Amino acid sequence: MKKIFIVEDDRSIVSELEALLIHAGYAVEVLKDFQNALEEILRVLPDLILLDINIPYLNGEVLLQNLRKVSNIPVIMVTSRASEVDEVLSMSYGADDYITKPYNPTILLLRIQAVLKRSEKVLDVVSFKDVVVYLQKGMIKKGDIEVYLTKNEMIIFNYLLNHQNVIVTRDELMTDLWNNNEYINDNALTVNISRLRAKLKEVGLGEVIETRKGMGYFLS
Amino acid sequence: MRMRDYFQDKLGLLALSLASLLLIVLICLAFKVSGEAIWAISCLYLLTFVALFCFSFFKKKKFYTDFLQNIERLDKKYYILETLSMPNFYEGKILYDGLYVINKAMIEHVKNYELQMEDFKEYIEMWIHEVKIPLATLALMFHNHNEYDKKVLEQLRRIESYLDQVLYYVRQEFAEKDYLIKENLLAKMVNSVLVKNKDDFLENQIALEVKNLDFSVFTDSKWMTFILNQIINNSVKYMDETKEKKIVIFGSEDDSSIYLHIRDNGIGIPLQDIPKVFEKSFTGENGRKRSKSTGMGLYISKKLCEKLGHKIWLESKEHEYTEVIVAFAKNDFYQVVKSS
Repeated sequence: MKKIFIVEDDRSIVSELEALLIHAGYAVEVLKDFQNALEEILRVLPDLILLDINIPYLNGEVLLQNLRKVSNIPVIMVTSRASEVDEVLSMSYGADDYITKPYNPTILLLRIQAVLKRSEKVLDVVSFKDVVVYLQKGMIKKGDIEVYLTKNEMIIFNYLLNHQNVIVTRDELMTDLWNNNEYINDNALTVNISRLRAKLKEVGLGEVIETRKGMGYFLS
Repeated sequence: MRMRDYFQDKLGLLALSLASLLLIVLICLAFKVSGEAIWAISCLYLLTFVALFCFSFFKKKKFYTDFLQNIERLDKKYYILETLSMPNFYEGKILYDGLYVINKAMIEHVKNYELQMEDFKEYIEMWIHEVKIPLATLALMFHNHNEYDKKVLEQLRRIESYLDQVLYYVRQEFAEKDYLIKENLLAKMVNSVLVKNKDDFLENQIALEVKNLDFSVFTDSKWMTFILNQIINNSVKYMDETKEKKIVIFGSEDDSSIYLHIRDNGIGIPLQDIPKVFEKSFTGENGRKRSKSTGMGLYISKKLCEKLGHKIWLESKEHEYTEVIVAFAKNDFYQVVKSS
């Protein structure tokens, strides 16, 4: 389980962030001792840090600079200061992404996922059960049977693959599609999912995408 | 400064001199001074008067002519004092010194307001950032606990949009260097605005067509996404409920510029309102009919565009469409910066 470290001094936002991230399947630790922020981070060694700029003692940008001298842990700056200058500064200090408050929770999760993915080895080929998935080519293969997925179907399948064993809401899928420049509506999403199911059935993966009524989908 | 006007102004002085000349002549006659002597005295007297008159006129002429001309020519009239040298006659000095004191007092007065404005601007900016924190918390709370009340999130997004409007209004009005121009991809900026407004589009069943946006332009991406957000919010707000709602976003280019078009098939803008839509607080017929309009969005957008060096305008036909176009100039200088 990926561990995310929250550096933020507003108590209520911390507890909500914590709930959001835990629900999304991450382990969460929160910074309590702002005076020794850097030591605390190095002790916890998280996979990713959500860093606010306006924090007590050292501000977030300075903390980031200090951190970068000793570590490459991915950092997403989360702040209400929304100017290009702040963003460019943060990026030049070594932040991996920059999000301004108030953020859409689904988008925040997507950005976290994207940064985590970038810090890992990018996999082009993954396997699911006894089926091989070629992400770049948009193809799934079982033995001699090759089935090509459209871009939309691939985005949906990829998102489900990355979130196995948790419920994925329609909104999450929709946000991911929109993020990838596919501006489709509700009906089109439904159509895409049923097409994806049909194609998965061709390679012997019938019924792997379950519908949880009123909640979303579940890949098992 | 004209001789005739100056002469007219000094008519009283002339009358007084003539009266005193008359008195002198009368006294001379009483003392039985010879006629030739009286003539000589009179001529001398008049000559002296003319000489004195001319001397004082030309002495002042240069100063006042400069004064009037420079006032006429100056764009910022209050810099008049900087353009004049200290005059060498008494009244001129009084005027000069007076102007100096007045100027100084005014500068202090204006400076005072400037400082107050600056304080106010900083306070507003800070306040907006503070308000965004509970707003973010609320969005998270609703996401975590109320299994997606999209309507609540939608309202939060509206508050955020209005907050941004104030923020950018304050920034464009009082800040000169609050932006940073660098290379940005049109597609990326458009995408971030569309994703942000996703729920709005889905809720209102608006179809999107996005094409040909692989251009990179020099702009401040934060300002530009704000502007795009305003334009798109307007499109969503003024949709025609009787039609299949649609927004088309595309790029184009010619030799001089790259253009971003945002075209909707909404209710359009009445012909007489089109020239005024970018004016401050203008709401027009549509704004009055649909009530929730501050008339600030497009005004701020235009101001920001001017600061960034972009052009923005719109074309529209009532009941058919509205198309907003932003033009990014292609500049050779940018190319040099890019390649270096």
